[in-house]
Amino acid sequence: MKAFGYVAAKDVGHAVALLGEYGARAKLLAGGTDLLVELKFAAHGPEIIIDISRVDELKDISISDEGLRIGALVTHTEIIRSPIIGNLFPALADAAHSIGAAQTRNLGTLGGNLITCVPSMDSGPTLMALDAQVTSASRSGLSQVPLADLFVAPRKTSLQSDELLTGIIIPKANFAKPAAFQKFGLRKGQALALVNAAAAFWIDQDKDSFVQPRIALGAVAPTVIRAPRAEAFLEGKAITDEVMAEAGRIAATEAKPISDFRASADYRRDLVAVLTKRALQSAYARASNKVRESVP
Amino acid sequence: MIDVTIVVNGETRRASVPPETTLLKLLRENFALTGAKLGCDVGDCGACTVIVDGMAVNSCLMLAGQVNGRNVTTIEGLATRDRLHPIQKAFEDTGALQCGFCGPGAIMATKALFDENSDPNVKDIRDALSGSLCRCTGYTKMIEAVQEAARVLRSESRNSSHTRELKVTAP
Amino acid sequence: MNDDTKVLEREQLDLAETLRRSDVDLRLPAVVPREPFPIEPLTVDARQQTHAVGQRATRLDGRLHGLGQTKYIDDLSFPGMLYARIKRAGIASARIKRIDTSAAEAIPGVMAVLTGSEIPVNSFGPTFQDQPVLADPIVRHAGDGVAAVAAVTEQIANEALAKIVVEYEPLPAVLDPVAAMREDSPKVHAPNSNIYATKVVRKGDIEKGFAESDRIFEARFSTQMIEHVSLEPHAAIADWDANGRLTIWATIGRITLARADMARTLKLPMSRIRIIGTIVGGNFGGKNEISQEPALALLSKKTGRPVKGVFTRGEEFTATTTRHPIIMDYKTGVSNKGRILARQIRLVLDGGAYCSWSATTLGKACILSPGPYKIDNVVAEAFVVYTNKTMTGAMRGFGAPQVCFAYESQMDDIAKALGIDPLEIRLLNAFDEGSSSPTGQVLHSVVVKESLRKAADRFGWEPRS
Repeated sequence: MKAFGYVAAKDVGHAVALLGEYGARAKLLAGGTDLLVELKFAAHGPEIIIDISRVDELKDISISDEGLRIGALVTHTEIIRSPIIGNLFPALADAAHSIGAAQTRNLGTLGGNLITCVPSMDSGPTLMALDAQVTSASRSGLSQVPLADLFVAPRKTSLQSDELLTGIIIPKANFAKPAAFQKFGLRKGQALALVNAAAAFWIDQDKDSFVQPRIALGAVAPTVIRAPRAEAFLEGKAITDEVMAEAGRIAATEAKPISDFRASADYRRDLVAVLTKRALQSAYARASNKVRESVP
Repeated sequence: MIDVTIVVNGETRRASVPPETTLLKLLRENFALTGAKLGCDVGDCGACTVIVDGMAVNSCLMLAGQVNGRNVTTIEGLATRDRLHPIQKAFEDTGALQCGFCGPGAIMATKALFDENSDPNVKDIRDALSGSLCRCTGYTKMIEAVQEAARVLRSESRNSSHTRELKVTAP
Repeated sequence: MNDDTKVLEREQLDLAETLRRSDVDLRLPAVVPREPFPIEPLTVDARQQTHAVGQRATRLDGRLHGLGQTKYIDDLSFPGMLYARIKRAGIASARIKRIDTSAAEAIPGVMAVLTGSEIPVNSFGPTFQDQPVLADPIVRHAGDGVAAVAAVTEQIANEALAKIVVEYEPLPAVLDPVAAMREDSPKVHAPNSNIYATKVVRKGDIEKGFAESDRIFEARFSTQMIEHVSLEPHAAIADWDANGRLTIWATIGRITLARADMARTLKLPMSRIRIIGTIVGGNFGGKNEISQEPALALLSKKTGRPVKGVFTRGEEFTATTTRHPIIMDYKTGVSNKGRILARQIRLVLDGGAYCSWSATTLGKACILSPGPYKIDNVVAEAFVVYTNKTMTGAMRGFGAPQVCFAYESQMDDIAKALGIDPLEIRLLNAFDEGSSSPTGQVLHSVVVKESLRKAADRFGWEPRS
């Protein structure tokens, strides 16, 4: 790696001040699993690394009136092991478990995964399907926007040069909303997603139909996207395999995949249809099991 | 240069290094602990795996400053003067080490697994070893080695707690 | 016992025991000695199982591997050692018009720079000496080295690489081996044809065989380029002593061959070259020839210091040998019962930019291409062809895995078409004791059919009607 300076931030305020001072000349170090690879291949390195890995304020998983807050520095391993997340949103734990391998999950952070902002990110689809918001801090103060607004283009977020992602919030209204995540890679471990998908929906218990369905797709557009036409199709429909398969087919038409050395666009479209259906089925199965478990 | 103080295998070590020094380089070049290997330098192969504050990590993906003040265990810290660690013995006995290059990393990943779970099933083992690539063994022997080591460690801890009980009841 | 007896006793101790004791004393940490492996003198008997088969044997080096104490090349370092890096062309086919290393040499910490023109004999190779140590002036694949630097740190060496200016005149490149066989294709090693080795195996009368066949099956099979990905990258350290003798620590598996190649490139008598083959972290065929060693030796000579070079994982893919992709055309004539009467094969091996072990691979692939089957009429023609792509060389199987994929795939196709069980068709055709191979070799200790039947039994293969 090329030489750079190094400073460790003590807390959020310090980190923001440092970002304010260095702006685009600095890079943030959280887990380092993406950053260090980038630094090793960069033609031009940053002037300084701001190490935020010890900013404890950003490591919380907590419930407030607003909803569930996951700090930006929570690692994928911590998400997998969190009883709160396991109880409310097991799909988030599934998504975290699909990232890299044990070693990379121990260091890699949720915030880092979101900030690196590659279309195939594994943390994005489930959060998007759960209407997550992102919080950030800068010299101008605190800010909160929908997750979709964070993703601008591959490797480009909406954050300003002095802005620090502090965490995500899943609204209280979505607590325990049945959700599932599906990923298809060329291997079962240490694999980028060729396509990933998340689905979330409430169930109208009387009609056994979809209520407020959400479908989010990754690796098939410049950023993680929703599939609004598939969602509109599902709203109010009876929950059957045929309906879910049709939603998958509609979602495939909303995807804009490219062909690259891993897969062709056609294959990715096929995967969207299959993974969307499976995510819907998996979420439904999860909800049914919970209902069965709660019946005395 | 930055100054880092790290507890490595129970010993406090200090170094003054350029900030871009990775933990892997620090261990291999500054502390002469060459057990962790450089296989890919991008956190894919796991040959550089060490344990930092109880977690298995790719040392090629950590900067020296990131580990300042933390505890690091490397392969050199597993065996004591009196005996091989059961993981090392099991890997050796089952034939899970051929060229041996992936060995330290896989063994440390296993150690980290056992620190969390003393009775892992095959799925847990595969998960823990998913970040350790091996081109020689085909992984089957590794899984056997981990199962064998787990058995040995469990029986050792049963025996030691049994001994404690005996001591208490002895007149 | 008095002191005299103790002295006598000591002298009578078996030397091996003395060594063993001192070895155990020196070994840290002290560990329980292992059970000795039961070794008896073996008298080899054809078709007899030896005592060793089925025994659990512990590798001698397993102990140190598990302890993390095995010293691979990158674990070795010497006082004053420098780090070398090689600049890769990054272009498939070109002429080097100009190399300017002055900016690199000016960087503090860069101790020496080397280009192809400084190599005494700039060609080497285990079969043909067609590969330059550093390309000069023709670049034949993107991984060709064009310059090398030695610096006090790897970081400075990398910086130096970026500062070396190379001006290329791009030349036409050929990337498809079949296209490269044509006379009008760009020539990788002009003016020679791109076909650099051929082999033909002929047995019986192929036309007669096809004439007698009830069905003829034709198909093309192809395999891709595969990299060994040994966990340990290629590495070497070069150092000269005061008497002008060169020592190289290398991951190379063929020491004498390496010494011969080094002697030739450096114009140095072999007696002055010592190569220490170290414990290697995986070879699989990819570490059986020299690569960067002459460059490291010359950098060491220039600087008067030991020089270590370790390939990056990226260089492992672009600048080391890989498994040959092979395009395999199979034409097989069979009876209606599935008996193979004739097989005609054409193999085109993608030979990459340099020969390496391609001629050997070609030979093996050609001889093994008909498969382990009794076929009276065979023609197998094989060609290995230069392309402006990554070097192809030895890798586990040396051509066998590729042709196996082809003939076994076709066997399944034939079985399916004729409605015959895939196991049965193989039992019908497989070698027996005393069968003759495609090259006329009479085979003994043949247990193909027994093995197939045993395997089928083990995993429950039932013939389907």
